[in-house]
Amino acid sequence: MSGVDDLDDLRASFRDVLADAAAAGDIRRHVNEGASRCESLWRKAAELGWFALLTPEIHGGLGLGRAAAAVLYEEMGRVTAPLPVLGALAATEIVAAFGDGAQCSEWLPRLAAGESATFAADAEDADLIDGDQASLLLARQSGGPWMLGAPVAVERIELFDRTRSLARARLDSAASKLAGSPERIARTLRIHANMALACDSVGGAKAVLEETIQYLKTREQFGKPVGSFQALKHRCAEHKVAVAAAEALLASAVARWDCDDVDADLYAMLVKALACDMYAAVATDAVQLHGGIGFTWEHDCHLYLKRAKLNQTLFGSAAVQWDGAARLMVSA
Amino acid sequence: MGRRRAIDGVGVSAQGTAGSRAFAPLAHRDDLEKFRAEVRAWLEAVVPEGWFARSAGASDADYLAFQRWWLSELQKVGFATPHWPKDWGGEELSLRHQVIVSEEMVRANAPSPDLYVVSLYHLPATLFAHGSPAQRERYLKGVTERGEIWCQGFSEPNAGSDLASLRTRAEKRGGAYVVNGQKVWSSFAANASYCLLLARTDPNTPKKQAGISYFILDMKAPGVTVRPIKQMTGQSEFCEIFLDNVEVPAENLIGAENAGWMIAQSTLSAERGLIIFDLAERMHAAFEREIAAARVAKPRWWSDDALRRTFVQQFAELQSLRQLIRRMLEELESNAEAGASSLPPLIKIKWSELLRRHTEFWLAATGLETQKYAPPLTGGGHVTGNRMQDFMWSYSWTIAGGANEIIKTLIAERVLGLPR
Repeated sequence: MSGVDDLDDLRASFRDVLADAAAAGDIRRHVNEGASRCESLWRKAAELGWFALLTPEIHGGLGLGRAAAAVLYEEMGRVTAPLPVLGALAATEIVAAFGDGAQCSEWLPRLAAGESATFAADAEDADLIDGDQASLLLARQSGGPWMLGAPVAVERIELFDRTRSLARARLDSAASKLAGSPERIARTLRIHANMALACDSVGGAKAVLEETIQYLKTREQFGKPVGSFQALKHRCAEHKVAVAAAEALLASAVARWDCDDVDADLYAMLVKALACDMYAAVATDAVQLHGGIGFTWEHDCHLYLKRAKLNQTLFGSAAVQWDGAARLMVSA
Repeated sequence: MGRRRAIDGVGVSAQGTAGSRAFAPLAHRDDLEKFRAEVRAWLEAVVPEGWFARSAGASDADYLAFQRWWLSELQKVGFATPHWPKDWGGEELSLRHQVIVSEEMVRANAPSPDLYVVSLYHLPATLFAHGSPAQRERYLKGVTERGEIWCQGFSEPNAGSDLASLRTRAEKRGGAYVVNGQKVWSSFAANASYCLLLARTDPNTPKKQAGISYFILDMKAPGVTVRPIKQMTGQSEFCEIFLDNVEVPAENLIGAENAGWMIAQSTLSAERGLIIFDLAERMHAAFEREIAAARVAKPRWWSDDALRRTFVQQFAELQSLRQLIRRMLEELESNAEAGASSLPPLIKIKWSELLRRHTEFWLAATGLETQKYAPPLTGGGHVTGNRMQDFMWSYSWTIAGGANEIIKTLIAERVLGLPR
């Protein structure tokens, strides 16, 4: 299943559940309490099989393509969902593609059921996404093979963005080696991470821009809606152009990711940089366009702003991505 | 001189074509792969080697001759008016086929028939929807059979972004309208036989859009004076048109009197689509050439982090634009009347702003070398390699077709629904 209609249905089902969670105050409560996981939303997601999207059917999963994961990431971005999906789906993809029989049967059903996972993109990467509750850690010794096992000495790192968290951890001594080219595993993880954040950024930017435009239509000053002032209109139009452009590039990058195209890595880098910078610009201006209300804890603007600024720097800033893309462009 | 050598080259090439074999890409329209292959073979035979470099500094006469020659070559294979209905000498070629032709033109770095843009796009878009049978018979055949050049008389010195406030007056006296006024920014008006003219027939309507009519103007009529405007590039593509008691026969009114504003929307909608597709594809081809060259030997600017990153970022932005354009073409293909699409204004902003920044990038990357004067190149899109000229020409996209500031207001109000 990766037909357009099927993906549209999938999108609608993700959106319904996430909108309900937002409307019920789950996300807001999670942010206010600073908990490590949004339990109600996590249980619902696990029940609905969101963590099993990429898991092969023989291991109890849905066996969908990466395009389905892209839709989930984008929809989560719309509501700044505090769900540890990224680490789990990336680990699922790696174990399913590179794990041996024992590794697959040990880990895939657990991940599909909603247990968290994380990965260290390289030996120096000490800040692990979704790491604080992870059962599984993928890590690589410098120049060596990739290992997988339970994380130990886990230390949670709280972020300004309370919809995500990082952790420090190391592998326990019982970790097992992953067969397969370490470079290919690194590439697969890099593409997954870049695509997840690009999707999240497009979803978040669309939502925060829509919200901002609604606000500008209703907020009145000088006897008229502030959205009638040209200085504000032009900024909104510019954001709309940037969002549409990033969304279009994302569609082409997702198509490449979905079929494991030779250019999937290049396009993931390009869209990661483009979409995350775009999201940061839109979310930054959204606060300004809201005025004082946008600066309050009560308003959602800061959730988007903090997630956007985190997305921008997580897994490598735009400069890092442009440099990586430049190397790929001239290496072929 | 440069252009004349180009034309000499063309003569040789044309003979070569006739001698080898006749090309008929349209005979393969049912098989897209064969169709593409035949288009490619035709272009390889017909596009003169090195025409582009030789066009630097061409005289107006050489440019005209070159454009006429290219139109005639396009006509031989049915590619001058592929988008027109069969009844009017067209091929009713699907958008999918036209995209293939455009892609192959870009691949071959073939010339664009710039001189005939109004003749091939704006005139038919206007006449098919609103022209009388007699007007279509006379003027569409004028393009297909005699290669008549058309220009557009919309803007005025005091009616630019606020086009509806135009003041050129057309007063009906007997069987004719007497026209007085002034038009400006008319591309190639000095070479045109006819003009698509907007003029005010009723100065007393409460809404200024309601008093405008749409005419066919014979540029040779007494009282028409054309004066080329020298542009910042040194070229004179734009002209002023002065209209002094010009008699326009009543049969040259297009559609109903005072319906001109609505008809003008058909004319303007002809601009988007394949023209911008072609330009974005040409920019992409230029990127590909730079990347291929960098694989062999890195240019000096490649080691400058800021410049290299800007280059890659603009490459990413161009890919986003190409996707947006393809999406718009798909919308057009599934619904030719897609007036509801929000994509054309977004694409206009994205393309024009990227073009400005990309041409600026090349000035930064090439430094003093590209400040040294080099004669302009014409007819090769917007990334010709004459960096300063390319930069200056980028204004044509941020100002023409609705200044970007007007388009942004339009996006805010019509796409985002912000209040007026």
